[in-house]
Amino acid sequence: MRIYRSQLRQELTVMIRNGEQLLLLVVIPVMLLVFFSQTDFLPTENENKIDFLLPGILSLAVISTAMVSLGIATGFERSYGVLRRLGTTPLGTRRLVAAKISAICVIEIAQLVILTVVGLLLGWNPSRINLPQILLFLILGTGCFAGIGLTLAGRLRAEVNLAAQNGLYLVFLLLGGIFVDSDELPATLSPISAFSPSSLLSSLLRDSFSNTVVLADAIVLCGWAIAACALAVTSFKWSD
Amino acid sequence: MSAKSCELRTVMVMNISSTSREVAISVRNLVVDYKNLRAVNNISFDAKAGEVTVVIGPNGAGKTSTMEVCSGVRAATSGAVSILGFDPKKDRGKLNSHIGVMLQDGGVYPSARVFEIAQHYCNLYDNRTNADELVESVDLTRQKKTSWRKLSGGEKQRLSLALALAAKPRVAFLDEPTSGVDIFGRDLIRNIVRQLAADGCAVIMATHELDEAQRVADHVLMFQSGQLLANAPMTELQDATGQRQTLEDIFRHLAEKSKLQGEQ
Repeated sequence: MRIYRSQLRQELTVMIRNGEQLLLLVVIPVMLLVFFSQTDFLPTENENKIDFLLPGILSLAVISTAMVSLGIATGFERSYGVLRRLGTTPLGTRRLVAAKISAICVIEIAQLVILTVVGLLLGWNPSRINLPQILLFLILGTGCFAGIGLTLAGRLRAEVNLAAQNGLYLVFLLLGGIFVDSDELPATLSPISAFSPSSLLSSLLRDSFSNTVVLADAIVLCGWAIAACALAVTSFKWSD
Repeated sequence: MSAKSCELRTVMVMNISSTSREVAISVRNLVVDYKNLRAVNNISFDAKAGEVTVVIGPNGAGKTSTMEVCSGVRAATSGAVSILGFDPKKDRGKLNSHIGVMLQDGGVYPSARVFEIAQHYCNLYDNRTNADELVESVDLTRQKKTSWRKLSGGEKQRLSLALALAAKPRVAFLDEPTSGVDIFGRDLIRNIVRQLAADGCAVIMATHELDEAQRVADHVLMFQSGQLLANAPMTELQDATGQRQTLEDIFRHLAEKSKLQGEQ
């Protein structure tokens, strides 16, 4: 446990010390939540915009932590030789992965609390909260996006990986059902968006706050998570 | 048998007969291939506990590839490698508690601070190494709160060496430990390396700096084009190559001889 705890502390310290990470993980989601809940830019039919927005922003928080933050950090760790060097210590792959996953969970819990408080201040009033179900979907989403992030980080050069992660973040942000429902997108994009993991996670979280979960969406998201993690495990290279 | 191999065999035989120290690293017929390049071509050597074995040779000679295979960072294409009786790839979990590795590229989080990363590495080993003493041993106490990215080249090298020492290693792999280090830093690193060997550690150290190598070496492995030009104790290598005293002269002599034989 001492080794795991030390690595977890190191992961969290490095993550929190990065100003741009805090911007990505906390400031941007909060700003987007406040901005879009107070303006009329979104084509949502929901009377209370925050009810539509908050689950999408929670998905965005998962994407920013599990995919972008983890993926970029891991890409640079590969490039700097950090992983190679740790590979020569008694740390071991299992403890390294466990520490990284735990660090993500800690950050996500903080994001969840902050965004929920901001949402409540902005008038969020969910009809129902099924916490175990919400946690299950957040875990599935985390697995899925961590798998995607690590797949990119494990194969691409650090700089290319950085661009790819940010580019994908933008794609999910605009076309992933976070701010705009997939049905509202042009006909060519709508089915792709509906099938995307961000769209599935957003709509499953929305459903979890209104007592209507589509089982098929949960199964597809589960499939995404398994496929992404399997791809990351099989394709990951510890050094360039 | 060529004159060169005759000479080297003589040197190797002298090596075997001249010491009875325990073999910590055993490499037999090691081959390392990259896509279209054979980086290490069928080399064999031993390195002993309590000795500093320096690995010298030009860029691309196969030094780092050999070190990486021995430290378990890279897989060999073929051949047998044994470190303290363990296979460095298959028995990594068991071996890693006993080895200290200093990579050429540092391998430290750029934002990590000196004491913090030293403490972390101390925590990774079950040997109660004290992080304060570790930092002090490489003269970085004043830089305890400085991040890796703000350290000078020499300070980075010293910290990187300290992280390898956190293991209290029985085998230490040091890749270019004095590269970019000033004269005082070199003295410090040399003393640490000698002390490691005095404590019974098998130190294997790759370097381009032949004068530095000569000062610490008990045993020399000379690489060229993926092959071993020489594998011998320092003193016997000097004797075997006649009046030439410096490692640089010895290397030039053997490289030239090898080239001439290759042309014949």
